[in-house]
Amino acid sequence: MHVLAEGHADYLKVDPDGFRAWVRDHKERALVPKVMSAHDAVARFVADGDYFVFDCNYFQRGPSTLIREVMRQGKRDLWLCGKFSYVDVGLMVGAGCVSKIDCGFFWPGAAVDVAIADGRVKVYEYSNVVMTLRLQAGAMGLPFLPVRSFGGTDGFEYSGAKLVEDPFTGQPITLVPALNPDVAIIHAQQADQYGNVRVFGTGIAHMESALASKKVIISAEEIIDTDEIRRDPGRTSIPYYAVDAVVHAPFGAWPGNCGGYYGSDTPAVIETFAAIARNAVGDYLAKYVTPFADDAEMFDKLIGAERLDKLRAAETISEGYRA
Amino acid sequence: MTLDLGIRPAAGTPAASFNEREMQICVVARMVEDAKTYWVAGGGGPMYAVLLAIRLYAPGAQYITEDGVIAPEPMLPFEPVMTMVSSRAGYRALAWGTMNTAGNHAQVGLMDYGLLNTLQVDQHGNINSTAIGAYGERSRRFGGPGGADSIAAMCWRTVLMTDQEKRKFVERVDFISSPGFLDGSEGARERAGLPPSTGPYRVVTPWAAYDYTPDRKLRLVAVSPWVTVEQVLAECEFPPVVAGTVATMEGPTEEELHILRTELDPRGQNTAERSAWIVREGDEYTRAG
Repeated sequence: MHVLAEGHADYLKVDPDGFRAWVRDHKERALVPKVMSAHDAVARFVADGDYFVFDCNYFQRGPSTLIREVMRQGKRDLWLCGKFSYVDVGLMVGAGCVSKIDCGFFWPGAAVDVAIADGRVKVYEYSNVVMTLRLQAGAMGLPFLPVRSFGGTDGFEYSGAKLVEDPFTGQPITLVPALNPDVAIIHAQQADQYGNVRVFGTGIAHMESALASKKVIISAEEIIDTDEIRRDPGRTSIPYYAVDAVVHAPFGAWPGNCGGYYGSDTPAVIETFAAIARNAVGDYLAKYVTPFADDAEMFDKLIGAERLDKLRAAETISEGYRA
Repeated sequence: MTLDLGIRPAAGTPAASFNEREMQICVVARMVEDAKTYWVAGGGGPMYAVLLAIRLYAPGAQYITEDGVIAPEPMLPFEPVMTMVSSRAGYRALAWGTMNTAGNHAQVGLMDYGLLNTLQVDQHGNINSTAIGAYGERSRRFGGPGGADSIAAMCWRTVLMTDQEKRKFVERVDFISSPGFLDGSEGARERAGLPPSTGPYRVVTPWAAYDYTPDRKLRLVAVSPWVTVEQVLAECEFPPVVAGTVATMEGPTEEELHILRTELDPRGQNTAERSAWIVREGDEYTRAG
């Protein structure tokens, strides 16, 4: 295939055969219980140096409890998949967890600017859809996928994409490298103990991220019976054999909104922006993360049942979320 | 109005006072075509413009957002920043998908228009939302293209919203995050692998509206009633082509503002953002600064 142009950035090695072998050797085929604490899931499945994808973001049905646990455990040298990301990137950069970012979008601010300027963090340029398509390729077991965007941009130069002559039409077409992250963390409304997962509402690439990643941690508002899954299989977003750990995490997307369960916590949302804008993530961690063994303790001692009840009451929409 | 700008007449009574952000949103709303599909950037002016249009001008227009919400009837107002993947933003949609859903639907040609905010635009409609300054050296980092690259590449027509400031209208953007006509040469988009017959269509600021010449250069075609062509050009680092006749746009109407202020954005989270106030007396508009 004739390569017309190519980006010059580092990208995660494309290795579909290696991924297949990992899946063969590590993904449990039997229905085995996978419920564990956030602490144990992150300790066991998130390693320093991992390529790390999270779905949605810290404010929008994202795995916020799991992100706080990653910061609590002080994971290092993560390479973030920044598709539709938001303040989570700034938090994890500020917490010292990150060395590389593939950028579709993230909320910028002093915490990230300083890390980039100091050379602690390197950014590679993509777009949101290009990143979710890279995950799609990874989830299909392919080395790449073509896409009819991204060509001609300056991001292309700072990416792993290639422009080639399409052997079928003869026209130029952009190819983007498949992405098989080391670890994916995803927050869902419901999961059973085996990791059959129900995500309600829109999402970014939860199905693609789960299928494409070597290790998959699901946090869920509710752990439901497998009989309930079997009663309505069309609602299963991710099947059990892609999943390695299931964490019961009520308010696991706090301070964000979790469709059908609770509204966003606006003061806490604004506080998160401010922590990044002021490069004061350390203060944020000292308030919300490090004093507590886990999120349950943080919700109990810092947020309180009354405030959580109000967030629950603020979510008046049930259509599409509750049966 | 002597040029066909695709801006329909304003509905209602000219408003006595408003801000420039509201003006920009109203102008874009009047451009929204009925029975067409819009891929709208999450939040900000683009989403409010299409929501206003659906209520007042183009009830059959439909929109999607990059998280795969298709044709929602959102529950307004939104909580701060909760304009995508939120239950209110996705309320009463016809379908819920994912980001690849949105990308694929644009890629097969289902999206007539893309509607975007941008930090910087150049003479060929290229879009920068990544960095201002020399990339990687003395640049200030912004968020990145997000969904805009796919919108600008694959929707049939792209409408941009930005502020009328010198540093935002340049000869060549500091970083092409999302494609316009690239170097402006014929077929540049196709040579970069983008679908044919797509690309930049209009740019709307609080002060002005632009289209593109047949040879793909930004062209000033209309100004707001409180500014002159010279004032607009003074806020362009690189001067655009100026149409032979530059139209004067209508200000917002009370009806448009009522919907914006009471229904869509009662907290003024987006519609009052970074914006000067304008007062009208008769045909005279005064900028309060």
